[in-house]
Amino acid sequence: MNFRRLKNWFTDRYDFSDLVKLAQSKTVPVHSGDFLYYTGGMILFLIGLQFITGMILAFYYVPHPDFAHKSIVEIVTKLHLGWFFRSFHHWGAQLTLLFLFIHLFGTLLVKSYRKPREFIWFTGFILLGILIFFGLSGYLLLWDERALAGVKVATGGVKALPLVGTFLMAFLRGGVDVTGETLTRFYAFHVAVLPLVTLFLIGLHVLLVQYHGMSIPLREEKNNPASIPFFPNVFYHDLIVWLLLLGVTVTLAVFFPPEIGIKADPLAPTPENIKPEWYFLFVFQTLKLFPGEILGLNGEVIAILLIVTAMGLLFLLPLFDKKSSRGEASPLFTWISVGYIAYIVTMTIVGYLS
Amino acid sequence: MKKLFYTMIFLLLSVAPLWGAAAKIEVFPSAPYARYIIYESLAIFWLFIISLIVIIKLKLREIARTQKLGINREAAPIPQLE
Amino acid sequence: MKIDYSLITRRRFLNTLFGGWLTAFSAGALYAVGKFAFPTLGKEPDFVVLKAADYMNLAPNTTKLFAWGGKPGIFFRKADGAILAIKGVCTHMECNVTYKPAERKFYCACHQGWFDENGQNIKGPPPKPLEIFVHTIEGDKLIVARKGVKVELPKA
Repeated sequence: MNFRRLKNWFTDRYDFSDLVKLAQSKTVPVHSGDFLYYTGGMILFLIGLQFITGMILAFYYVPHPDFAHKSIVEIVTKLHLGWFFRSFHHWGAQLTLLFLFIHLFGTLLVKSYRKPREFIWFTGFILLGILIFFGLSGYLLLWDERALAGVKVATGGVKALPLVGTFLMAFLRGGVDVTGETLTRFYAFHVAVLPLVTLFLIGLHVLLVQYHGMSIPLREEKNNPASIPFFPNVFYHDLIVWLLLLGVTVTLAVFFPPEIGIKADPLAPTPENIKPEWYFLFVFQTLKLFPGEILGLNGEVIAILLIVTAMGLLFLLPLFDKKSSRGEASPLFTWISVGYIAYIVTMTIVGYLS
Repeated sequence: MKKLFYTMIFLLLSVAPLWGAAAKIEVFPSAPYARYIIYESLAIFWLFIISLIVIIKLKLREIARTQKLGINREAAPIPQLE
Repeated sequence: MKIDYSLITRRRFLNTLFGGWLTAFSAGALYAVGKFAFPTLGKEPDFVVLKAADYMNLAPNTTKLFAWGGKPGIFFRKADGAILAIKGVCTHMECNVTYKPAERKFYCACHQGWFDENGQNIKGPPPKPLEIFVHTIEGDKLIVARKGVKVELPKA
């Protein structure tokens, strides 16, 4: 295989030298916290795998309430390796969300959101919401009784928002209740709307990272750490991490394939002890903490408002953290970040155990 | 590899004509022979990954060696005759 | 026997090893994906089981359709009373054929192909006669099978 001649064929027609110089100039700092740099790439890799497995699953899935459940059962029992690809898609989703939270908590603690990288934080935060919605919409597509109950609760919570609540819930559900219309709508979100929005936002997010370069934690900045070139050194490190991630996902897919519950019936009573997926547990637990009525106002509305406000403040955090924008240590915001992380983690664990 | 996949396909298809569907939907092939093939494929898969990682590590060692020799350093500008 | 020089450069060796292994790995993964993505359902059956009562009382020179996988099968009682079971798929470009009782011929509308009562291609582009099935009656069941296929009914 004469690679030189192939390369010459292209270079005779296109001038890649600027691109090559740009690629070679990308460096990655080396310091004690640099393991965090890999989390972003891992999420990108996992999302890529989800796109591929999702696309081939879409060849066989039927998004109609009468056929959805059956089509998945057929995929799992009748097609070659159907069980594997469904299981892989499930575990890929779980790992994507897990690493998303790790990436969020990591960048929060080392304050890579500070000036000039505020937009990277903003785009990333929106991506978090979108990927969680990916998880929710995909979950409903199974159309078993657990999925139906879970989505009823998740979309029902939106109604508590004042003014826009009912409208937003009707938009998400495609009506007042969770029905076949919701299935069609969630399918459209899951395979068309969300992928396009995600591609755009990820493109923006990654582009901004290339523009600003990798952020260095404040306490490491004064040490002036050395850098290693991305191509080829860190690229190969990334590849090793990705291969291990692939291995872990495949192993989880083989040993713990997800169950398929009985087909959903919108008229049947809600099953006992249903819990939403783990990434919703902290919201679920928070809602449980609030009594039905506080000072004459609906407890649930207050709870939802508090949660939305907390998330909004977290979204706008870079604008509040003036000290780190100036490059100074900002212990108050470190404690705030620790508070957020501790709350989410504790509530998730409590929700899981109860 | 091919034999493994073909046997798995055969087993999956032979499970299809089951009168009176099972109460629990099988999300994982139940025939012991199919399970054995799957676990064996998993082991081979991990071997593939580990060897690929070893090869990459070899490449990285070589890259580190050549970089220490100074392959990346810019050459001093040569005085031109102009 | 030791040689003074290396037969291959380190770079070439490592790159070939890496590239080769990566190709093998991707090929394996793509094979798995491909096996899943290419459909196996909807293949033609080797035989179908029908209710005999629905088919045995046909008037002469009439046909009745039955399902042969996703394609039409034609159960045909000729004008002289003999019975024929054929695949109603034209041998030219696989369009569905129809029976024209007035002319006692099968007609394919796609390219105006004609087959006679026995499935022989007599006019137009079809290169081969229509596929003829073997039919047997077992009790209250009519079994239509491809020629040469040994029919084994599953134990109901």
